[in-house]
Amino acid sequence: MRIGNLGRRFGLMAAMATLAVGATQDLAQATSPRAAENKMVLVARQDPGTLDYVKSNLTALRLWIPANVVEPLIYFNKDGSVSPGVAESWEISEDKRVYTFTIRQAKFSDGSPVTTDDVVYSLETMSKSPVVQNAAAYAAVTSIEKLDDRKVRVTLSRPSQGFWAGMGSVSGLIQPKAAAGGIATNPIGTGPYKLVSYTTNSSLEFTANENYWGEAPAVKNVSVRIITDGTAGLNAMEAGEVDSLPVITIDLWEQLMRRGLDKKFSLVTYPQIGEPTYAVVNQKLDPELRQTIARTLDRQQYNDAFGASWGAQNTCTFALPNQPWYSPANEETCPYPFDMEGAMATVAEKGYGSKPLEYASLSDVPDLLLPADIMVPTLQAAGFNITRNAMDLARYAQTIFQGRPPQFDVTVMSGDAGPDQFVCPDESKAGWSTYCSAEYTKAIADADQALTQEDYVAKMKEAAAILRKDAVIIPLIAKNGVGLFDPDLKGFREPRVAVAIELAPLHW
Amino acid sequence: MAIYAFRKLAFFIGALIVASLAIFLLIRAAGGNVAAVVLGKDASAEAINALAHQYGLDRPIAIQYLDWITGMLSGDLGRSFRTNESVADLVTTRLSVSIPLALSGLLLGLVIAVPLGTYAARNVGRPSGTVLALISQVGVAVPAFWAGILLSLLFGVHLGWLPTGGWTPWSTSFTGAVRSLVLPVLSLGIIMAAVMIRYVRSAVLDVMNQDYVRTARAVGMTRTQALLRVGLRNALLPIITVIGLQIAELIGGTVIIETVFSLPGLSRMILANVAAREVIVVQSTVMLIIVFVITVNLIVDLLYGFLDPRVRASA
Repeated sequence: MRIGNLGRRFGLMAAMATLAVGATQDLAQATSPRAAENKMVLVARQDPGTLDYVKSNLTALRLWIPANVVEPLIYFNKDGSVSPGVAESWEISEDKRVYTFTIRQAKFSDGSPVTTDDVVYSLETMSKSPVVQNAAAYAAVTSIEKLDDRKVRVTLSRPSQGFWAGMGSVSGLIQPKAAAGGIATNPIGTGPYKLVSYTTNSSLEFTANENYWGEAPAVKNVSVRIITDGTAGLNAMEAGEVDSLPVITIDLWEQLMRRGLDKKFSLVTYPQIGEPTYAVVNQKLDPELRQTIARTLDRQQYNDAFGASWGAQNTCTFALPNQPWYSPANEETCPYPFDMEGAMATVAEKGYGSKPLEYASLSDVPDLLLPADIMVPTLQAAGFNITRNAMDLARYAQTIFQGRPPQFDVTVMSGDAGPDQFVCPDESKAGWSTYCSAEYTKAIADADQALTQEDYVAKMKEAAAILRKDAVIIPLIAKNGVGLFDPDLKGFREPRVAVAIELAPLHW
Repeated sequence: MAIYAFRKLAFFIGALIVASLAIFLLIRAAGGNVAAVVLGKDASAEAINALAHQYGLDRPIAIQYLDWITGMLSGDLGRSFRTNESVADLVTTRLSVSIPLALSGLLLGLVIAVPLGTYAARNVGRPSGTVLALISQVGVAVPAFWAGILLSLLFGVHLGWLPTGGWTPWSTSFTGAVRSLVLPVLSLGIIMAAVMIRYVRSAVLDVMNQDYVRTARAVGMTRTQALLRVGLRNALLPIITVIGLQIAELIGGTVIIETVFSLPGLSRMILANVAAREVIVVQSTVMLIIVFVITVNLIVDLLYGFLDPRVRASA
């Protein structure tokens, strides 16, 4: 039995267990005892397994290491402005092909000085990262050079919005070359915290980095307890043993409400970590069949299931609500709106019911089980001959990534990766989604080369329209991230580096 | 005796070979590989294949098996692909949680089960014996995680006496480690007790009908004296056999308890590494457990043969 399934069962049983215990208790939280100790305890629902952010893009890792331990060259703020990170300042040539970064005179958490050699090494390492998302930022980079002891120059063959965005994200994280060997268990950086220890399936322990170049974090010691069972996490929160579950998954929502924890603690919603949830239909299927599948998708039904109170929005656009090319679902942006009767008629008319289809269901991610619970019966009701094949992440990855030809017909996915993940210069290299469109790839490439923000947004809108029309990637809803915090723990701000929960601004 | 021992030893080696092959093939039969898990869902097939190559997962399967087995035989359990940590270190760390948990749970289970099981047997047919048998039956039916969640809610959330979960290493705080283990041990002990009560009751009932108990009664012992002085010692033999099997099962089989209480034990480590397809970690850890179990069984078999000529003859 897998943890994900266990978690679901535990959730149901926990609600019953609460009734069985029968005690009600006023748990209005006094100030956490950890406030006096200058400490906080947070909960992680997944064990990263490795902290090597160069080789892995698991969310469980990116929640804690970037921004806290390892910093990027720059930071992008919520208002769109750019703040210094490891780079103290920067110059961008007019044609946006040459970036010159002036590196901060600072030290890594292990006491070694940050050098331009470290910066060159970090960027070059990331440019060769096996994680497509990390390396994509360097697609236009032709050289990374040390100019002197303070300056590093990056030259591009063309302007690239992706490169600049990447320097404020995981692609731009800077590590000391000398400590690279230990990155999987002890990543070193210039961030406000340093990692004290990582025990798999148990905890990540952080303490304030005494070499940090900026203002010291308000809370000196941070413990991130890995509690994979959601009910156990809520129990720990209710018992006052932990101060926050910064990422609440959908499977906990009902229990959280029933136990009244939304009233006892502060609920915070934020957009970046919330991910677009979208259906993926095998591109090899007949286009009209794909469009018919798209017409069976009632976005409001998914929104209701995902907790509309979190601020999830129905959308047909692959983007997050805080991205400027985003649009909520409307007649203009939804070429295949929900039309069950029409879909049923098409299935009958075209005889799609005789074609066996397979729904690949990722069983160990709670947020993806509910869409499957809705989608498969709906498609069956529409007349499709579809069966659900549940698999764990490893098998899912093999089926979706490596299956040639793709061994699935429909699936649902969510993730914080941008629309450039569907770029496909060569059909033989189509990614996990199987989607490969020369038109879309060109549209994204054009957008990447935009010299102005306005031009970039306009071109991303064009790309989004192509994606919609093809009915391979079919956006359903844009979720928000939700965190549960002790009311006295304040200062949470939206993630700036990918999905990272920034610990430094949190304070009692 | 030599032939008997030789046969047992041959069986021991054969069982290890079969077990090693089964573990090696089963985890691969599950599909997927660690490279795809590490790189995440947005990775291209090209990147996954490159990382799999770096990990040596694209080598012929026979070579991978031989590499692993020769490593194991020379005492090298291998290293995690993702973190490069030694499997031996990983297992040692986890055993500091799993062994106290398993042994304490078992001990608690026995402390509860032996007197109650004996009492149930002594009072068979009476209301008190029936009630005990019924309680035991209900206890067997209660899922471990249900018991764990209830205890966590009661003692952790509502009373606040003990932590709801998590682990404090022994090196950080002895008291903290003990406190971390109290509720898990209680959960495990109660479930174990429910199972063991039935074994004890059945074993005691068996011996109470034996001639030597009747003889003890005939020489003037009361029923209780006969049971305690003669019957219980004999009844313990099958119980000890069951205990031996339970210990092995507990060390690697407490995943539910470890998950509910967020303990970094061996079971959870194995489960997490199966999910991540960390084949070396899973193979080596499971193989260690199998070696332990089969070795214990071999020793018991040899002892039986040494102590009881009938066993040697029948073998």
